[in-house]
Amino acid sequence: MEAGSTDRAEVLQGTLTLLVLRTLEALGPLHGYGIARRIEQISQELLHLNQGTLYPALLRMEQEGWICSEWGTSEKNRKARFYAITNAGRHRLAKEAADWKRMSTTIERFLVFDPARRVEEGG
Amino acid sequence: MIWVRAFLARWRGAFRRPRDEEQLADEVRFHLEERADEYVAAGMTREEAQYTALRSFGGVEAMKETYRERQGLPWVENAVQDVRYALRALAHSPAFAIPMLATLALAICAGTVMFGVLQAVVLRQLPFPAPEQLTIVSLGEGRSAYWNVESWRAHSRSFSDLAVLDTTSVTLTGIGDADRIGVARVSPNFVPMLGVQAAHGRAFTSEEAEQRRRVALITHAFWQSRFGGSLDAIGASLELDGRRSEVIGILPAGFRFADVAAEVWEPHTAFADWDVRRVARGTGSWFVLGRLRANVTLEQANGEMNSLARRLDEEMPAADRDREIRVVPLSEHFVGARSRLAVWMLSTAVVCVVLIAVANVLSLSLARNVSRTRELAVRSVLGASPLRLLRQLVVESVVISAIAGVCGALAAWTVIQLLRANSLSSFPRMTEVTVDGRVLACATALALFAGILTAVAPSITAWRSNLRVSMQSGGRSVSGSQTIRRALVVAEFALAMVLVFGAGILIRSWQIAEDVDPGFQPQQVLSIQLRAPATMPSSQRVAFYQSILERAERTGGVDSAGFISELYITSTSEQFIETEGKLERIAFRRDEASPGFFRAVGTPLRSGRDFAAEDRAGSQRVVIVNQAMASRLWPGQQAVGKRLRFGGNGEWFTVIGVAGNMRRQGPEQEPMPQIFEAIAQNPPGAGYLLAKAATGDPTQITRAIRAAIHEVEPQAPLYNVRTLESSFSSFLAARRLQTFVVAAFSAVAMFLAATGIYGLMQYCVATRTREFGIRMAVGAGNNDILRVVVSEGLRLSVTGLALGFFGALWVGRLSASLLFEVRASDPITLALVPLLLAFVAVVSCLLPALRATRIQPLAALRQE
Repeated sequence: MEAGSTDRAEVLQGTLTLLVLRTLEALGPLHGYGIARRIEQISQELLHLNQGTLYPALLRMEQEGWICSEWGTSEKNRKARFYAITNAGRHRLAKEAADWKRMSTTIERFLVFDPARRVEEGG
Repeated sequence: MIWVRAFLARWRGAFRRPRDEEQLADEVRFHLEERADEYVAAGMTREEAQYTALRSFGGVEAMKETYRERQGLPWVENAVQDVRYALRALAHSPAFAIPMLATLALAICAGTVMFGVLQAVVLRQLPFPAPEQLTIVSLGEGRSAYWNVESWRAHSRSFSDLAVLDTTSVTLTGIGDADRIGVARVSPNFVPMLGVQAAHGRAFTSEEAEQRRRVALITHAFWQSRFGGSLDAIGASLELDGRRSEVIGILPAGFRFADVAAEVWEPHTAFADWDVRRVARGTGSWFVLGRLRANVTLEQANGEMNSLARRLDEEMPAADRDREIRVVPLSEHFVGARSRLAVWMLSTAVVCVVLIAVANVLSLSLARNVSRTRELAVRSVLGASPLRLLRQLVVESVVISAIAGVCGALAAWTVIQLLRANSLSSFPRMTEVTVDGRVLACATALALFAGILTAVAPSITAWRSNLRVSMQSGGRSVSGSQTIRRALVVAEFALAMVLVFGAGILIRSWQIAEDVDPGFQPQQVLSIQLRAPATMPSSQRVAFYQSILERAERTGGVDSAGFISELYITSTSEQFIETEGKLERIAFRRDEASPGFFRAVGTPLRSGRDFAAEDRAGSQRVVIVNQAMASRLWPGQQAVGKRLRFGGNGEWFTVIGVAGNMRRQGPEQEPMPQIFEAIAQNPPGAGYLLAKAATGDPTQITRAIRAAIHEVEPQAPLYNVRTLESSFSSFLAARRLQTFVVAAFSAVAMFLAATGIYGLMQYCVATRTREFGIRMAVGAGNNDILRVVVSEGLRLSVTGLALGFFGALWVGRLSASLLFEVRASDPITLALVPLLLAFVAVVSCLLPALRATRIQPLAALRQE
C-alpha cells in the first residue's frame, strides 16, 4: 500500500464527494491537484487523500452533473483541467452535508452511551 | 434525469476512448509536476521529488483502469469488442463465412419473397369493406340470367343485396384512333356494394339505369390516358359503338375488380338487347355479386339458395332445371383454387429450401464450433467466464444473421420489384405484392430465427463439453455434434427428395402439356382480331368478311386465310341438341367459321367438305362438327349428312363435314364438342382473321394484311395482332412459370444438400486422418478408402431419401390437381429422383474421399 503515517486517516468512502464539492464551493474553479492540496491543507495533513481515487471521483461527479470542467492554464503556465461546482452540485452538497451531520451526531451519541446498559435495555 | 445524462456521458465515453485517455494522462502529469515542484521547494532534488510524487499518487495504471471503467459502459464496450472480434473471426475463415452467409441470405430472401407473394395473393383481404361478406352467386357454369337474379333478390334472405356485372367490348371513336375497349355494365348498386365511391363526379343512380340513360364511369387510367387527367372529362361524351355516352364520374385510382379489364363502366341496362336479357332465365352471362347479411354463413347461404333453386325449377327452361346455385367467397373467385394451390405449393418449396438452409447452417456452425473447441478452451483457461464465451458465440451469430438479414432483405426487395415490373399477368393479384411492414417483419423474423439457430446449438455443445479436457485432447472430442450433423444431412436429403420429386412431376406435366397436339398447327399463323364497323348492318357483314378474306389470300406471302368468330373457348354452355330421334343436353361450343378457316389453322377435315361459296344466307343451313361432337351425337356412325337442331326447335342444320378435334381451351383441356356454322349464314359482329404465311415468320405479313383490311374498310378496328403460336403458348405461361420456380428451388435444395454432405464428409475425413493412416498402414488401398468414405455418405443420403420418399408421395397427392397427365405417384419420377440425388451425394463425397486417399500414413500417425 501507499506509504503513510499511522496517525493519518484515509478519506472515508463516500465523503470524498462532500469534500470536493465543499472545496469547489468555497474556492471556486480549481484543478485536480489544487483540490487534493486543499483537502490536505484543511485537514492539516491529518487526512490522507489517496490521489488515485480523486480523478475517477471527479469524472463520476462530472457525469452526475455536479461539477463541470474546462481546460486552462495554471499559475505556472501549465495546461490544467479546472473544475467548478454547478447548481446541481450545490444541491448535492447541501444534501451530503446534512447527511453527514446527521450521521456524525448519531455516532456521537453512540460514543457517549454506555454499551452494557444499552444491551440490557435493548433485550 | 441526471442518470440519463450520466448514461449518455458514459455512452459517449464508450466510443471516445483515445482522446479522453490522453486528457487523463495530461491531468495526471500536471498533478505530478505540481506535486514534484512542491517537494523541490521543500528541498528535494528534482529526481527525488518526481519519484516521491509518483509514489504518493498511488498506482497510476490502476487508477486509469478505474477511470476507464467509470468512464464507459463496460457492456457496450464488450459488445463492440465482441462484434469486432466476430467480424475478424469471420474474415479469417471465409470457408465458413461465405457459405454460411450465402445460405442464410438465400433462405431469408426466398422466405421473404414467398411471404410477400403469399400475403398478396392468398392472405391479404380484398381491398373492399367487410370483404368476407362478398360472394359470387352463380347458377351452373358461373354466370346467371337476369330473371334468376331478380327472383333471388326477391326470395333470398341470406343476402343484403345482389348486384350484376357483364362485360363486353365496344369500339371507341371520337377520341384519337378508333379503338376496342373493354366495357363493364353493372347494376347501379354494384360499385357501392364494393364500398367504392367515384373519385370525381358521381356514380349512376337506379333511376338512370331504369331509364336506360347512357351514362358512364371511367377508370382512373382511362381518364389519364384519354383526358390527361382533366376534370373537363366529367360531362364529356364518349362515342361507344357509335352511340354517345356521358361521362359522369371517375373511378378511384387502383380500383380493380377481379380480372375485369373494363375501362368504361355503364349501367347494366345499356345493352342493346336489354329487353331480351331482362327476361332471360336460367344460365346466362351475368356475373352476380352478393353481399351476405351479417351473421349469415356461407353454408347457410348455399343451403338457402339450393332450396330456392328447387322452388324456381318449374319456372325455368328445361335445359336449366336441376342446377345448383353456388355461393363462393369473392376472394376465392379472385384467386382460383388452382392458383391458391400453386402458391401453397411454391410456399412448401420455399419452406423446404429454408429448412435445408437451416440444416446446413446448423451443420456448418456445429463444425466450426468443434474446430474452435481448442480456442474456446484456451480462452476459458485464460479466465474468460463461460458466460463471456457464450456471449461471444451469440454475438457472432447475431453478426452473421444481421449481415445475412440485410443482404437477404435487399435481395428480396429486388426480386419483388422484378416480379411487379414483369407483372406476371398470368398470376392473379401479383401486382399487389409489396414490401410492407409485414414483409419486412418476416425478413427480420427469419434473420432472428437464423441467428438463434446458429447460436443455440453450438452454445449447448460448448456448454456441455468439458473445455479443459478438449484442450488436452486437441479438440478431437467431437462425437456428439457429429451425430447431430449426420441427422441434419439425413434431413436435408429427405427434404430435397420431396422438393425434387415435386419439381420432377411438375416438369413431366409441363413437358407433356407442351407436347400436346392442339389439333391445329399454330406455326406460321398470324391472328388479328377484327370487327365489322358498328354502323354496318349485319346484312353487309358477309360481303365485308368475304372481301377481306379474298384480298388477304391474294396478298403475297400468304398461304391461306380464314375467319372465326371466337378463336379460344373461354365460356361454354349446356344446351339441348336434337338429332333425328333424340334430344340431349350437351355442353358444347358453337362458333361461326369461314371457308378456308380449317386450312389456315391446319386442322384436318376427317370427312365431308369445308364450307364453300354455295353455303349462303338463304340456302340450306349447314354445320361442321368436330370429332368429339360427332362421336357424342352419332357414336359409331357417319356424321356427314345427319341433321341437328338447337334447343329442340328452330331450323334443322345438316352436317357437311367432321373436323379434327381442336384444343381451343388450351393444351390441358380435353377438346370439347364443337359445332361450326358458316359465317355466310350467321355473320358475327367480330372475330379472328387467321392468315398462314407461305414461309417463315408470320409477322412479316402483318403489314400486307393490315393494308388489305384497310382497303376494304379504313374505319375497321383491328387489334391484338399476334402469332397464333404465341397466343396458344400463353395458355401454358402459368404452368411454365410455376414449374420453373419449383425447379429452381429444387435445384437450390439439391445444391444445399450437396454442400451439406460435402461439408460433413470433408470434416469427417479431417478428423479421421489417424484412422485412415492406420488403415493404409495395414494395407488398405485407395479404393478401400474411397469406398469407406463414399459408402458412409451414401448411407446417410439413402436414409434421407427413404424418409423423403413418403413425404414425396404425400406432396404428390396434395398437388395432384396441378398435374397434367402425370400420376401423383409417377413411378418414373419416383425412381429417377432418388437416383439423381444419390448420384449427387456420391459426387459430393468423392472430393473428400479423394482427399482421404492422399493421406500419408506416416505423417498422419506422427501428427497425433
